[in-house]
Amino acid sequence: MLIEQFLQALTSGILLGCIYGLMCVGLAFIFGTMGVINFAQADFMMVGMYLVLAIAGSLLAGTALGAFAPFLAAFLVGPLMFGIGYLLHRGLIVCTTGLRIANQIEAHQAQLILTLGVALVLQNGALILLGSAPASIISPLSYAAWEIPLLYNDFNVLFVNKAHTYNALICVAVTLSLYWLIRNTRVGKSLRASADNPTAAVYMGIDVDRAHRIAFGFGTAIAGLAGGLIVLYYPVQPLVGMDFLIIMYAGVVLGGLGSLIGAFWGGFVIALVQQLATLVLPLQLQNATVFIVFLLVLLLRPQGFFGRTVDRA
Amino acid sequence: MLEVESLTVAYGGLRALTNVSIEVKTGELVCVVGPNGAGKSTLFKTISGTVLPRSGKVLFEGVDLSTVSAARRGHLGIAHVPEGREVFRSMSVMENLEMGAWAEAGRSRFAETLERVFSLFPVLAERRDQLAGTLSGGQQQMLAIGRGLASRPKLMMLDEPSMGLAPAVADTIFESISQLHREGEMAILLVEQRVAEAMEYSNRGYVLQTGEVILSGKFDELSKDDRIRRAYFGM
Repeated sequence: MLIEQFLQALTSGILLGCIYGLMCVGLAFIFGTMGVINFAQADFMMVGMYLVLAIAGSLLAGTALGAFAPFLAAFLVGPLMFGIGYLLHRGLIVCTTGLRIANQIEAHQAQLILTLGVALVLQNGALILLGSAPASIISPLSYAAWEIPLLYNDFNVLFVNKAHTYNALICVAVTLSLYWLIRNTRVGKSLRASADNPTAAVYMGIDVDRAHRIAFGFGTAIAGLAGGLIVLYYPVQPLVGMDFLIIMYAGVVLGGLGSLIGAFWGGFVIALVQQLATLVLPLQLQNATVFIVFLLVLLLRPQGFFGRTVDRA
Repeated sequence: MLEVESLTVAYGGLRALTNVSIEVKTGELVCVVGPNGAGKSTLFKTISGTVLPRSGKVLFEGVDLSTVSAARRGHLGIAHVPEGREVFRSMSVMENLEMGAWAEAGRSRFAETLERVFSLFPVLAERRDQLAGTLSGGQQQMLAIGRGLASRPKLMMLDEPSMGLAPAVADTIFESISQLHREGEMAILLVEQRVAEAMEYSNRGYVLQTGEVILSGKFDELSKDDRIRRAYFGM
């Protein structure tokens, strides 16, 4: 019996882990390319959740797309959030980043306060506009599961939820695509160059502010997409971001700051720990376990799983 | 080609350049020499637009650059090879060169550029997939020059290319700069502390001291000046 429970928890941990992984990738991407610690990241998720609710609930309801409406809506939310992030950078974030900044430390303070401000505006704006009642969406796929028979035992099966599996696959695909874009495309390389040495990037004729706008747009889009996918698990309310914020930061630090794939694994590990902990500990201690593991990793491997000890030779 | 007209630059209350005028003509190799803190790097940064002048202006091919952003200047044909190389350390040699060819002029002729850079610095061809941060200082300097060449510039500004290099490596770098000059495709503006070498290769030069041009002209004339002989040749 214990083995089935373990396998079941492992499965849900892996599926949830892919979403947490994507969440962390969004945060790590913004930090890695422009050095901004974005406090509004979790609230971009909240916006993404509401947008999926609106799009899937009204536009796509009753159409032939039926069961897949939430997934399609999440994909529409991606570009929408990209636009929001892009404009937000153009209007606000750009004031605190890029080459115009003379003092990096002061700039970091300004960035923290600015993104915190954006977070507060989003949270309270949502409270005013949408109220505090939680809302949720379900797809018929949320109830559907593949039943995988266990070879050694005829009585028990492993349930693999269909909606969660599609979610996980989308998250892995998006993470890998983003990684590929950054490694191989011209724009991706210009983002890396701008992150590596902004002054030299300007000498090459690269518009560093534009590179940052694109990066912020992508980070926002990923947050929106992750939110749009997780809304199938988790009811949304204006302050829901708080639930994810800590997980995101822990995941990014676990993975090693600035590494995309590392951030994905960081989020993944957190979900696994969370789910496996439910086997032996009361549900209330789920998040406490995450932090125990987090502290252990920081003690034993402070640079994170994928971080390098020496950044610059 | 490049005219700098009575440029004054200040950081806060501190004057870095006072009323500096220099000129580079097509195909020339012009050198700016001077002690540490004379404002040489500031002059370059002002020309490439990352530092804004308090007064005076920079004209490139007759165009006033005061309204042209730093990033746009890279597209006009000015390549800045900065002090301390400033290569993209986390990117490969090839990717560094690709970034050098970001501007349209460089992009369309990238294959040709690669051939030229690799024949000038064969070691870069061998290490094309290596991360730039793992190259030696001399190789990084070669890469920085190659990256500058990749934009197919009309004017290349080299800020202390020999800094921190072993004499033999520095000679290689000077030799390649001299070769680029002889090929005559671009004008070169060179900042150097190794005055003897700089004079050997340049057409003419400027001596900068505490933010002012104190002397200018052909180097065989400059080397007769007592102040220069005392300061740079110990005579």
